[in-house]
Amino acid sequence: MKMKTMKLSVLAFAALTIGIASCEKDKDKTPVETKISVTDSIEIPFSSNKYTFYSFKDSSVVSNSDSATNKWDFGIRFVNIIVNSNASGPGNGGVIVQPGAYDNFTTAPTTGYSYDTSAIKPAIDAGFTSGWYIYNPNDPTHTFYPKAGQFFVFRTADNHYAKMEILAVKYSGYTGPNTPPTTLIYKFRYTYQADGSRNF
Amino acid sequence: MSRKILYLFAIIIPFFSSVFAQSHLSADSTARLLDEVVVTATRTENKVSNVPLPIQVISAKSIRLSGSQKLIDILQMQSGLVVANNPLGISLQGYPNPFGNGIQMQGLDPAYTLILINGEPLIGRNAGIVNLGRIAIGNIKQIEIIRGPATCLYGSDALAGVINIITEIPEKNSFSFQTHYATNNTLGLTAAAILKQKKTALELFANRYSSDGYDLDKNIYGKTIDPFTDYSASAKFIYDINDKSKFTLSGRFFSEKQFNNYLIYTESQPQVVKGTTTETDKSLYARFDHKVNTGLNYTGSLYATSYNNNATVFVKKTDSLYEKIELDELMIRPEVQVNIGKDPSSLFVSGAGYNFETINSTRYSSQKRMNSWYVFVQKQMQWKERTNIILGARFDKNSLYPAQLSPKLAIAYKLNPAFIIKGSIGAGFKAPDFRQQFLNFSNSLIGYALFGAQELGHGLQELQKTGQISPDIDIAPYLAPGDLSPEKSIGINAGFDYTINEHAVVKVNLFRNDISNLIESYNLPFNKTNNQAIYSYMNLNKVFTEGAEANFSYIFNSNFSLHGGYQYLIAKDKEVLHQIEEKKLFKRDPVTYETSLVTKEEYKGLYNRSRHTSNLRFQYSNILYKASAFITAKYRGSYGFSSLNGFQNGSGVYDDDRESVNGFVLLNTTLSKQIGNRWDVQAGIENILNYTNKLLMPNIYGRSYFINVNFKLEK
Repeated sequence: MKMKTMKLSVLAFAALTIGIASCEKDKDKTPVETKISVTDSIEIPFSSNKYTFYSFKDSSVVSNSDSATNKWDFGIRFVNIIVNSNASGPGNGGVIVQPGAYDNFTTAPTTGYSYDTSAIKPAIDAGFTSGWYIYNPNDPTHTFYPKAGQFFVFRTADNHYAKMEILAVKYSGYTGPNTPPTTLIYKFRYTYQADGSRNF
Repeated sequence: MSRKILYLFAIIIPFFSSVFAQSHLSADSTARLLDEVVVTATRTENKVSNVPLPIQVISAKSIRLSGSQKLIDILQMQSGLVVANNPLGISLQGYPNPFGNGIQMQGLDPAYTLILINGEPLIGRNAGIVNLGRIAIGNIKQIEIIRGPATCLYGSDALAGVINIITEIPEKNSFSFQTHYATNNTLGLTAAAILKQKKTALELFANRYSSDGYDLDKNIYGKTIDPFTDYSASAKFIYDINDKSKFTLSGRFFSEKQFNNYLIYTESQPQVVKGTTTETDKSLYARFDHKVNTGLNYTGSLYATSYNNNATVFVKKTDSLYEKIELDELMIRPEVQVNIGKDPSSLFVSGAGYNFETINSTRYSSQKRMNSWYVFVQKQMQWKERTNIILGARFDKNSLYPAQLSPKLAIAYKLNPAFIIKGSIGAGFKAPDFRQQFLNFSNSLIGYALFGAQELGHGLQELQKTGQISPDIDIAPYLAPGDLSPEKSIGINAGFDYTINEHAVVKVNLFRNDISNLIESYNLPFNKTNNQAIYSYMNLNKVFTEGAEANFSYIFNSNFSLHGGYQYLIAKDKEVLHQIEEKKLFKRDPVTYETSLVTKEEYKGLYNRSRHTSNLRFQYSNILYKASAFITAKYRGSYGFSSLNGFQNGSGVYDDDRESVNGFVLLNTTLSKQIGNRWDVQAGIENILNYTNKLLMPNIYGRSYFINVNFKLEK
């Protein structure tokens, strides 16, 4: 799959930078680079009653049977996004919908994280007029466009921090206008801090 | 595209000017510009030159010469008027409206222009739009268009202005008949008669109009415009009781039946549904005019009108009812008006009225009422011969929202008889409509819910009681009855009318409208248990529109005339400007995904508004051959459409050329030839350049042809 290779190359790049950092370590005594920055794509069913779960640490989709574990950080179903804590999972996850430029955001706050209080009151607003995307019902491509200058700061299921931005949402299997699409492809980037600190 | 247009105009103008110049030398010079009499601006008869407001008059002659059968086609060829298919609120995102097309004026959407027939409003707006197809045009005397708030005389909805359709005054015995046949098997049959006796006059009018509709996109099931048949009829009876008193009784009837046939999706499976939509509009108007003496007269009137829209569709395969939506609206309005003064330019006009309005719909929980009363006063003054002043105000008290006071001041100064400077400032408002107040609708297919502001609390309680909202959601903050405020505006118009000579006039008007409290739909921060959203309405945005309009007319002689106009328009959302200033509005490059700030220069304004529009109209009559030609062109410049061709940079505002729809030109021509004294034949081509845009301009069919045969007997 195309997206898999993309992910691997990003990981390879991350590994390379870690490698360089470790080489310099002896001289400058800079700490080991513990954050990973990844651009990934996941393909989810267009219509399903199950969420697709994702783990920042492993940069991979987590099996749906692991829904009651700490293995996943967020889940997506159609345009709805859930966080692993409270009403949605056993983890200690939380999220802040953060306005501003993704690149300039370097420190996750200690407080202010929201969670899904119930299945119908999620932390991330996915409403048609107020949600994280722009949707024009008369756009014949029926695309959901992520709003610019808005991203998510996550406290993961196991108390690590990540910032994540959805870059694009595309359909696959959509030949329209008389047939619905089969899947949605979410493209997003994130930076995950493995050392448990709040610095990106 | 726009360059093409410039070429076109560049060719047309010199060509016609040379034709005119030649004929001007030889032909008579008796024809000159008319100082038309209008009634809409002051609610009394006044000459255009005495009214300090921007007024446009479309005469019966130019309607007749155009050969057109539809009001919207006539209006969209006028400068500064654009066909728009959306209410202002939602059009901030640029969505076309499935409920038809209305007229955008001074950059404000159709819901902000009041449509009157003989001074009385048409009710029955769907998502803010009055279907202009309801107005047959065979018996129109003239159309008067006032730009700028006219709320001080007409109340709610007249923010951008007023379009008043004045029907014929029966003066001569006559009988006329017209047959119209056009592309798409469009057939129009019109008959009209006037019976005039010493003290009584009766005017009868009937029209049948039908079309097979058309399909602009074969890939989408069903037609773009479904087949329909319209019937309209009207009657007007005038009885001159004596020298001083007059009684008028008139009635109107319209009915349209449209045959629907389209595809729906139930659980992702396409299904064909079929059915009909019937729209019916009736009104009755009684009026008594009495002249007490030369300086005092009054009018008492009673207007009753009803509107019904009934859409019933069935699933074709199973013949089971898919959806039935019915809407019934009724308005009764008694009104009195007193005019004091002898000189028409220094009258004192005052009036009062009461509106009883009810609405009943399958989408409302029960019959709803909205009552209001109003008083208005207006003083016209003439000061030292050169200055005309109008000072007016109207007070509206509605049962549902706070009282509204709408003042207006207008001044005209005659620098010399040929040069008149005009300026006016006025307040306008638009009451929250029935839908925004009372809608109680749950979509059975998708499962979302939509409540008017007044219904929200009750609706949420019901949903929670029936388990459709989970019990742990706190709905308390939404239970107080919604307090939607009217949308408000301040409109300023300033400009001049310059009569260069008896053949030529130039009119320039600058305008600015500031609108606040725009009502928009929003979704509540929690969903139904089926995870579908709940929507309601609230006052949200502030926008402004500003620009300039210039029009000219050149009457070369009784045979030739040329008219043209241009409008420059800027329309912006104040909140967006504020966000840009605060550096809070971002865009994302759809290729590199790089995020950057939207700048003030990049923000082009509200979607669906053309910065440039212009028109040109040419009329030629040859008396010798009893023939005439009518050519009209309208240019609508480029405008924005959200997510055009799948482009969206995530800013949600119009800030990129990739969201710009190309401008276009509509070019129509009509030739008329009189045969004998009673017959005349017209043939025309509409949309000669064959412009179409199936997505954004479904109302425009490609090139089409028509032929009219007219018969008129007059005594």
